[in-house]
Amino acid sequence: MSLRYIGKGVRRVDGADKVTGQAMFVADITVPRMLHAKVVRAGVPHARIVSLSTTEAEGMPGVHKVVTGQGCEILFGTCLWDQPPIAVDRVRHAGEPVAVVLALTEHQAEEAAKKVKVEYEPLPFLLDPVEAAKPGAPLLHEKNGSYRRVEYIVHSEAGSNIFHRYKLRKGDTEAGFAAADVVVEEHFEFPLSAHCALEPHGAICRFTQGGDIEMWASNQAPFVLRDVLADMFKIPVTRIRVRIPYLGGGFGGKSDVCIEPLVAYVASKVPGWAVKLVLSRKEVFVGSLIGRGMKGRMKIGARKDGTFIALEAEMFFSDGAYGDTSWPVVTVAGHNCTGPFEFPNCKVDSCGVYTNTPPVGAYRGYGHPEGQFMAGRLVDMLARKLGMPPADLMRKNFLCEGRKNGLGQEIKRSHGDLFACLDKVEKAIGATPLPAEDDTYLYGRGMAAMMKAPKMAANASSTAYLQLSNDGSVFINLSGIEMGQGCQTAFSQIAAEALKMPIERIRMYRDVDTQFTPWEWQTVASMQTYRGGRAIVLACERAVELLRQNASLVFDCPMEEVEYDGEACFRRSLPGNRLPVGSLARGYMFGNGLTVGTPVQTTGTYRVAGVTEPDPETGMGNAAGSWTFGVQAADIRIEKATGKIDVLHYASCFDPGRVINPVTIRGQIAGGVVQGLGAALMEKLEFGANGVARNTNFGPYRIPTVDDMPDRFTIEFIETPNPEGPFCAKPIGEHPIVAVAPTILNAIRNATGVEFTRLPVRPEDVLEALRRKEGV
Amino acid sequence: MAAITLKVNGTTHTIELEHDRVRLAEILREQLGLTGTKVGCGVGKCGSCTVLVNGEPVTSCTLLARKADGAEILTIEGMADGAVLHPIQEAFLDAGAVQCGFCTPGLILRTYSLLRAHPTADDGQIVEMLRHHLCRCTGYEAILAAVKLSRERMQSA
Repeated sequence: MSLRYIGKGVRRVDGADKVTGQAMFVADITVPRMLHAKVVRAGVPHARIVSLSTTEAEGMPGVHKVVTGQGCEILFGTCLWDQPPIAVDRVRHAGEPVAVVLALTEHQAEEAAKKVKVEYEPLPFLLDPVEAAKPGAPLLHEKNGSYRRVEYIVHSEAGSNIFHRYKLRKGDTEAGFAAADVVVEEHFEFPLSAHCALEPHGAICRFTQGGDIEMWASNQAPFVLRDVLADMFKIPVTRIRVRIPYLGGGFGGKSDVCIEPLVAYVASKVPGWAVKLVLSRKEVFVGSLIGRGMKGRMKIGARKDGTFIALEAEMFFSDGAYGDTSWPVVTVAGHNCTGPFEFPNCKVDSCGVYTNTPPVGAYRGYGHPEGQFMAGRLVDMLARKLGMPPADLMRKNFLCEGRKNGLGQEIKRSHGDLFACLDKVEKAIGATPLPAEDDTYLYGRGMAAMMKAPKMAANASSTAYLQLSNDGSVFINLSGIEMGQGCQTAFSQIAAEALKMPIERIRMYRDVDTQFTPWEWQTVASMQTYRGGRAIVLACERAVELLRQNASLVFDCPMEEVEYDGEACFRRSLPGNRLPVGSLARGYMFGNGLTVGTPVQTTGTYRVAGVTEPDPETGMGNAAGSWTFGVQAADIRIEKATGKIDVLHYASCFDPGRVINPVTIRGQIAGGVVQGLGAALMEKLEFGANGVARNTNFGPYRIPTVDDMPDRFTIEFIETPNPEGPFCAKPIGEHPIVAVAPTILNAIRNATGVEFTRLPVRPEDVLEALRRKEGV
Repeated sequence: MAAITLKVNGTTHTIELEHDRVRLAEILREQLGLTGTKVGCGVGKCGSCTVLVNGEPVTSCTLLARKADGAEILTIEGMADGAVLHPIQEAFLDAGAVQCGFCTPGLILRTYSLLRAHPTADDGQIVEMLRHHLCRCTGYEAILAAVKLSRERMQSA
């Protein structure tokens, strides 16, 4: 089959909007009768609210109302209902909202917010998840364990700060380690980090005087958000309309729900008025969702020949003040901390722990970077202990056809080819010899392999609605959120290919609107091209069926005799008599107006079949619906005088089944790698002795700039067909970030002989390690 | 309250300032409806709000509006000629340099300012210029390519 659009570098369909400044983001939206909100935040990490006075603020110019949490009885959530939309009588992190000022202009709201007076009685605060998990630690939530929750999947431990413990028990690790010839074990840290999507979070909400809720939000999960609002305010889902414009990056930080419950709660106090809140960058750091925050320990045992035999891991996540957005990250980190390797025996405990930081949520890779940072480093250490090249050790243990992952799921050939990925990366990186140490620099080479499996609600599905017009152009309506990943472009390519039509005739719905666009779980887990794409293929197949059916009525022949070629339908025996698709779009109308057939409007739905939640006792089961594998390697250079690390060459090879668009996929890989370099080498949310985050803007919180990109990228793909996906494609968006930290730290070990196990590794850390080493 | 005059994308506007700390970005976005200017950090670190003030790239989220009184300003809305995109805009699309699009307007304006002043800017000058901008999506590879492609196309134009 020769393909016209799949695998081609089609220009982004949202591109012109974006280069002209016409793409609408939530901050760009103004609606009539709109108030501006300014949030007063706690400023202390853990305290009781002793008194709260809004009188002075209410008297300020332009102020319409000041809303506090007094009397608020709402706890919101999707699986764990532990969070009020605004602090009621206690604050659990320094960014927690205690009051919201509503005024006619933003400036008026800001000025008035300064006049809100709050008195606190400090409570002991906890930032370290290991400390917070200990028996006897001060509690953030006395009600932990008795909050409403989905008990099959959220395992809270009452009387502690552990609001979720995921346990994986596969085989017998005691026997496994007893049989091991070599064991490596280390402690690791992956600090709290910020997503840093360039667009700050924003939302506009109006409670109409007729009792409906309207919302515009920078959110990846409009339907989850709608359900949460319905639950919060006890009104039917159908009376809530959520609209999502373009998102200026998400990376998980805008998934599930974030600032929207606050904005809705405030709006509920001023029916008829719209309330707009756009966070400042500082507020994004302290008052939205953050990511990672793992302290862990992992132990791997192997036989002399390198065969992995047992893995034991313990992870404690500093998940912040509330747990609903982080418990699944905790579970997935546990599922997938094995990396892309087979371990017959696994024992993993992954704990989500309440701490006095902003709540943690999804962040690109979703638990995989945290767990596989440990596995990726330990495999390197183990290889050295065994005297084997790391690549050989990986090959010996890679997941492949017939082998089983940590959850006990059997891997098929269609799941991907790690061996081929490794070969490509080895060849690319090996083509240039690593320079020998010189007066100025040390050089190092490192490698790591990864796997990622999406975590999703077991009923997660995508639906595409297709409408053919009388001119032969096609609308595709699907609620995948365009946040930069390029799903609208991939969708257009998939539809054009499936319909055999010129791509110019395909038009994706731009804005997602829960009133008009089909139900979709949410845009997370790199699932849009895969799941949404498959839904589009199904809708297109049905549209072609309908076209042929309509034509068969015109030709008065069996449908089997009707062919379709993208432009027209014709009878095989009479190919000259062509009915253009547009003429069949609304059924076919004869000259006298008589119309036969059916308007071509179809739907296609796809759900990854058979996914279940893990067994509560063993943690095993069919919890992952697909896998994408990859291997990365890096050559780095360390300046001896400063400890500065330059990445000379970063090579990646993934197996996404099929490359839909080589330009956009390259953008995902390069972008993910550089974001991963940020985590490996620079990013960490720092807290002062007072428990308040210190580096809360760009600058103090350094993210990669153009200077930090590798001198050279190798980005390659293996395409092992995956019949489940659209044109055999699989998820790929988050994957490039997963193995970056272990790849880079393995290269640092290679250059310096120092085993770093805590992120980030900054120049001062390298310098100190080099000095310590010299001193020995 | 003070009023200022700005010539934005060729049109002169007289604008009342709500207070004396109003930033240029607020005026462009809220008073003039030019929402293509994006505010990503509010402290001049991310470059998303970059516009040209009297031809010079400026972070409009930090520039006090009153300091721009009398200035000529170019925003992203002034780059294309009607429905005909500027070669730099085309180059950003062709090079795959656009993902979420939030940093894009500022990048395009700074690229324009560099290449207008230095049509043969070398790669070092391009990297120097890009240091003023953050992008979380692309890893910069495609942006670098887009600026080089812009240089090529503007020279041959």
